[in-house]
Amino acid sequence: MDREREVTSAFVNLANSLVDDFDVVELLSALTTECARLLDIASAGVLLADRRRVLHVLAASSEATRNLELFQLQREEGPCLDSYHDGAAVSVPDLEREAERWPQFVRAATQAGFASVHAVPMRVRGHRLGTLGLFGRHVGSLREEDLSLAQALAHVGSVAVVHGTAVADQAALAAQLQTALESRVVLEQAKGVLSQVGDLDMDGAFSALRSYARSNNERLAEVARAVVSRELAAGQLLGQMTKGTSSTP
Amino acid sequence: MNRYEGLREDLEAAIHGPGDGSEAADRLCTACVELLHVDGAAASLMHEGASQGTFGSSGELSRRLDEMQFTLGEGPCMDAFANRVPVLVPDIGHVTGQRWPAFAGAAIEAGVHGVFALPAGIAGSFVGVLDLFRHDPGPLSGDDLDGGMLAAELLAVPLLDLLATDDDQRDEDGVSSLAALERVEVYQATGMIMAQLDVGPTEALVRLRAHAFATNQTASEAAWAVVERRLRLPKDAWREPGAADAGAAP
Repeated sequence: MDREREVTSAFVNLANSLVDDFDVVELLSALTTECARLLDIASAGVLLADRRRVLHVLAASSEATRNLELFQLQREEGPCLDSYHDGAAVSVPDLEREAERWPQFVRAATQAGFASVHAVPMRVRGHRLGTLGLFGRHVGSLREEDLSLAQALAHVGSVAVVHGTAVADQAALAAQLQTALESRVVLEQAKGVLSQVGDLDMDGAFSALRSYARSNNERLAEVARAVVSRELAAGQLLGQMTKGTSSTP
Repeated sequence: MNRYEGLREDLEAAIHGPGDGSEAADRLCTACVELLHVDGAAASLMHEGASQGTFGSSGELSRRLDEMQFTLGEGPCMDAFANRVPVLVPDIGHVTGQRWPAFAGAAIEAGVHGVFALPAGIAGSFVGVLDLFRHDPGPLSGDDLDGGMLAAELLAVPLLDLLATDDDQRDEDGVSSLAALERVEVYQATGMIMAQLDVGPTEALVRLRAHAFATNQTASEAAWAVVERRLRLPKDAWREPGAADAGAAP
């Protein structure tokens, strides 16, 4: 597929998801996967701020714990935090040159094999929500049009996060953010349960949860909650997944 | 600095300081009264649906009203914990459907009309409720509600300390301890411990934290050891908490 068609298809898929009863973590995971595919980067993640203005990972293109940690680390320092604070895009074409600015973050990111980072803000109606972070394996800036594309994808993500809340209702917006962040916590716990029971890595545990949700037409957050509350036995979920579901496209 | 940021700093300051978890909770309740346009505040510890009662308050009346909900087995506090959502009652004398007839009567007799119950949760575990009381009827303002939610979140740390029993498993800095627990590896390790020990998320988190304290590690370090399968917590070392496992109850 040529690039134009890929970009079109990404937006078509996201737009189609938005009109249905969607799961915000799943939609943003899909969005970060599209970022990693369409842009000249290796890894993407969405960070959202809670009531205390602390950033948390909501979704990422890789569920590996070390990858999530790299995003998490930026609640203290890093380009994503700066982008959130300033409400503006932050481009770091060469991470190693910024070692003094973000010592802890640069060390961890370079150790993980990343050389450049770009962060674009997520906001709606003047309200800052968080950041979309993009990590590259080689030194260099994103092309202008890629940066615009990233910002447009971030806008779609922002709309997804606040879906349904009234324009001026700050309390509803805060509640919506909180719900999304809490569902991420439960999702991580459910990954832990499945990883233990099924001897899976965290990526595998996430895939099992997602395939189960899709093949049973349930929301990801709901399946994760059921696993954690033990209404749905982890063994049962994993059993259904290994019996060979052919639901993946 | 806007009002919310000021509130946040003052509330965070309140849970620092000497003494055990219940003293931190007392200070936080008192700070709520000073900062949030309410007349009283009380903190209750709840565990897996079975209450363990009131353990912090801004004063005698708040303590009594909070305890009364446990005695009567009804009230906004109970509902907030059961459903894990804030229960905001601007006027307890005018609640449709008579949800809490006995508690409402007692509150009005004590001159309290506004009751706001906010669940206290951390890292996916709900451990208690913050009750805010007001003499006059009327809703909480948006800022006061934000501040109350924040206070409830901060309250979760001293509450968690109380669940961690006898040993000296407390650190002095509630806020850094909040940050130490709000981490991906901690959530994942909690899930793994749940499956290993067949316990709920709160026990799993308390166990992880207790192990971290006992071995002089941060919660994050202990969580990484669990996630990377270098550490498996022993099953037998878990003391049964006083509360029965009533987690399945509505």
